[in-house]
Amino acid sequence: MIYRLTHLTRYDYQAAVDLSIHLAHLTPRALPCQQVGAATLATDPPLSWRRDVTDHFGNRQSWLFVDVPHATLTVTATAEVTRTAPDPPGGAHAWDALPVPPAVAEFALSSPLAPAHPEAGAWAAASFPPGRPVAAAALALTRRIFASFRFRPGVSTVATPVGETLARREGVCQDFTHLMLAMLRQLGVPARYVSGYIRTRPPPGGTRRLGADQSHAWVSVWDGAGWFDLDPTNGIAVADEHVTLAWGRDYADIAPLRGLILGGGGQALSVSVALEEIGGDQAATLATAAPVNRSSAAAEVRNTCRGDPAAAQIGSSASRS
Amino acid sequence: MGATGPLAKHLPTGQLRRMSLDEMVDGQGGLRPPWRRLMSAIAELGRDVLAERAARLERLAAEAGATGMIQGAATAPPLDPLPLILGGAEFAALADGLAQRASVIEAMLADLYGPQTLLADGALPPEAVFADPGFLRPCHHLDQPPPAPLLRWYAADLARGADGSFAVLADHTGLPDGLGQAIDNRRTLGRTVPELFAGQPIAAHDGFLDAMLGIIREAMPPATTEPAGVALLTRGHADPAWFGQLVLARELSCALVEGGDLTVREGALFLKTLRGLQPIGVLLRGVPGAALDPLQLAAGTEGVAGLLAVPPERLAILNHPGAALAEAAGLRAALPALAPRLIGAPLRLAGAATVAEPATVPWLAGETLEAEPYRLRLFLARTHDGWRALRGGLARRMADPAATSAAAPAAMKDVWVLSETEAAAEGAAAGRVPRLAIRRDAGALPSRVADNFFWFGRYLERLEAGAFLLRVALIRAASPAPTPHEAAETEVLIDCLTHAGLVDAERVRGLGPARLAQALPEAAARQGAISRGLAEVSRLIFLLRDRLTAQMHLLATTGLREARAALARIDTRNETTLLERIGQALSAVQALSAMLSGLAAENMVRGGGWLFLDLGRRVERAGAIAAQLAAALAFPGAARQPARVEHGLRLALELCDSTITYRARYLALVQPGPVLDLLLADPDNPRGLAFQLAGAEADLAAIAAGESGLAPIAASLRAEAGAMLGGIAAAADPAAAAAALPPRLRALAEAVGQLSDQITRRYFALLAASLTDGMAA
Repeated sequence: MIYRLTHLTRYDYQAAVDLSIHLAHLTPRALPCQQVGAATLATDPPLSWRRDVTDHFGNRQSWLFVDVPHATLTVTATAEVTRTAPDPPGGAHAWDALPVPPAVAEFALSSPLAPAHPEAGAWAAASFPPGRPVAAAALALTRRIFASFRFRPGVSTVATPVGETLARREGVCQDFTHLMLAMLRQLGVPARYVSGYIRTRPPPGGTRRLGADQSHAWVSVWDGAGWFDLDPTNGIAVADEHVTLAWGRDYADIAPLRGLILGGGGQALSVSVALEEIGGDQAATLATAAPVNRSSAAAEVRNTCRGDPAAAQIGSSASRS
Repeated sequence: MGATGPLAKHLPTGQLRRMSLDEMVDGQGGLRPPWRRLMSAIAELGRDVLAERAARLERLAAEAGATGMIQGAATAPPLDPLPLILGGAEFAALADGLAQRASVIEAMLADLYGPQTLLADGALPPEAVFADPGFLRPCHHLDQPPPAPLLRWYAADLARGADGSFAVLADHTGLPDGLGQAIDNRRTLGRTVPELFAGQPIAAHDGFLDAMLGIIREAMPPATTEPAGVALLTRGHADPAWFGQLVLARELSCALVEGGDLTVREGALFLKTLRGLQPIGVLLRGVPGAALDPLQLAAGTEGVAGLLAVPPERLAILNHPGAALAEAAGLRAALPALAPRLIGAPLRLAGAATVAEPATVPWLAGETLEAEPYRLRLFLARTHDGWRALRGGLARRMADPAATSAAAPAAMKDVWVLSETEAAAEGAAAGRVPRLAIRRDAGALPSRVADNFFWFGRYLERLEAGAFLLRVALIRAASPAPTPHEAAETEVLIDCLTHAGLVDAERVRGLGPARLAQALPEAAARQGAISRGLAEVSRLIFLLRDRLTAQMHLLATTGLREARAALARIDTRNETTLLERIGQALSAVQALSAMLSGLAAENMVRGGGWLFLDLGRRVERAGAIAAQLAAALAFPGAARQPARVEHGLRLALELCDSTITYRARYLALVQPGPVLDLLLADPDNPRGLAFQLAGAEADLAAIAAGESGLAPIAASLRAEAGAMLGGIAAAADPAAAAAALPPRLRALAEAVGQLSDQITRRYFALLAASLTDGMAA
């Protein structure tokens, strides 16, 4: 699948901001199942200085400095991403006999937003009988979370503790991802937080996914030989409907855009994300379909950030009815 | 030779009770050789002199810490007059062992913030690194190794066990906490008990500071195009390490700065000063690495947003922000196993959590000596030809942890290393100091410091004016049955008192003629405006400590204490003493304020901080004069009967302390023209508006130093004051014209307030920073 990605973040400040510094994880990672072409990251007003580094987890991280006074700041990330379904989990390792090499061990440990959590572990245990292959157990857990928890924006923040999500049985993709990480870590299974996107429109005849039109998150699980990705918000294994930005221990490691501003007073934030298909498996169909899709992409749904009830209702009614 | 003199019978008995060693007394009760000279020097001093010197040391500690002035401020630990003495050879072995240990730590950190082969091949368990909060992921980049070396300084805490060998109790991989204190201790001891130093070949400290200066020069990134500065980033005065950092910053001639003083622009670090942004090439890190960058690490106010984005070719941070990882217990325990692999040799100095029977050393307690365990901190720096140790250190009393706290820290000692070669001893040629270029400017004054001076000036003036105003009011309050004229004056005074924030207008409204008598104790009481003003002044004195001379600081501290004590003696329930006690307290406040003004006038160099201190005073007083004149000229009834404005003019003269001057010029006849000339336009009357505004104008011109500044605004305000006087002179009925002035005077007072805001925006402008998240609305 070939996607055109546009992630637009806009801040409107009450008073002029003298200096804004942002740390972005907004460049999709290159992976065996994901080729990234023509990735751009730009701001308005233009950047006064920028530095890109590869972080501890191997993600591209960009420091963005704007030091002319500004009352509005937009950060626009675009990319063309060719995504194929990753190979299915190879190892048939039982979850309770997983080899955990040093390079992976970090993801079995607690992190601030996804600590090992006894109660969460107990909830997950039903999917993890002794000796069950980790791939099957984790997929079963993914489906249980999808079936038992309600997708409901506005009830949580990016830092909602997993115990709260577990008790309320509702939340959004970051919450379900943190919760599932806490479950797996309690069971000793290494797992990491993946930030990215899911396609905005379903393929013909497909299901509209939850968490589209915004930053999405899911879980990557260690199977003893490699990683495989599961999306608890949609109850599915990740194939070619997702595009990966970055991974870390939890949200805080790889927040897509975190900033510090001097001045500004109050601020209003709006975010719009579009992951539009511009090509598919059948190249012949694609050639004719692409222009149509491109023009529809221009009329993309201007979605506000997580927490917009209108967006939530559209999202949940489309997929849970 | 045994112990002689007055202390002979108080020698420690620790080694008889315990298995531990004593540094001074050997197993047979005799003095070890290095201590003999010291003890005979003590014997010669005599009991009384020694007690007097110990008391002086305690006083010095109290003054150094400005103790008790501000809640949360660090308290300096007392310095024992007796040093800890280490033999030269023994110290050399310790220094070698610590240098080797530092090399192992350096190699370990370079791996963990680089390729992490120690983890990949199982030499270290992953959780020892990844579960430790000291491992700073933002300082680990997969695409580049950390800047080398990670450690430029290193300190270790040691204790000697029963077998005589030392063990390392703690490793310190940040800016060596205690180094500044150790340097200061040596000087303090040398001044207080010079007799003890006589004839002792004590190794000097100087070489170590030179080495640190050399290291800083080496670390300066070559890519900096203009000469870049050196700054020491501190957590501020509430941090117990602050005093040591202050000493170190002075010794190393670098700016002592807080997070808010720095900013990252165009990929480099800058110090915000009155002369604009000054580049910083080397940052000595006196804050934990985890607090360095609120954007990348824990949010807080100590760090600088974007600091971790600055590439190593533009900025060297000493030590590496993530160096505290090496202090983790798990990694310390692994050092002996790692040493052969990392440096090809076994570790000579082992680490330990505790030492079972730590060696003791004598501590002076009253007239006796107590043998108590100590903890020795030594300091090392990595020069281009290897690790080098400070030939000295800091010993702390290893007392019951329950008995020590931030408010009552454990006592400390200077550490003497006896030098084998007399040439290297204390007092020997300092030499090799480069000749300084003559300069007369204050250098780059950080905006925060200028801000503090400005408000110091304002609060000092506010305090003085408040005390003066209360005193004027006090005379009226003493009158048992006020006449109608006195009642009218009271109205004006209440107006002035409320405008100055001394009394709450709501509280005194509608209370009748007794209002003033009720309002005064309130203003002077413990929680009143005068007390709050004192608290502000003492807070600013503390913040400006590194900018005021020791004498000035000491006198200010003493004066503040006395003023506060006088205020505390006011008993609002005791009517017989009330007014007298208030009067005494106001005298103490006025004495303090006059003393500080005198010190500032006679002791401070004109420029930098003084300009802002003076500007603060001028702005504050100009605003107050305009407001008080407005209140006085609005004398009750003056609007209908302009003749009554004369009463207002008399009161105005009194409020501006200009009655004597007026009488000397015009005798008893009070007229609007002469009075307002003296109070609005006379350039020589320091209690008048023109003098204050001219002073502010001159300060602003000096601050602007040729660039366009705010001086023209002060000039236009002075012109407005002159225009008011011109209007009076030209008026057919000067009394009516004067009675009509209050609105213009109030507008002028407001304009002075706006000038203050403009000064703040122009020169201080410390904008509030806020974090944003692109996901959370």
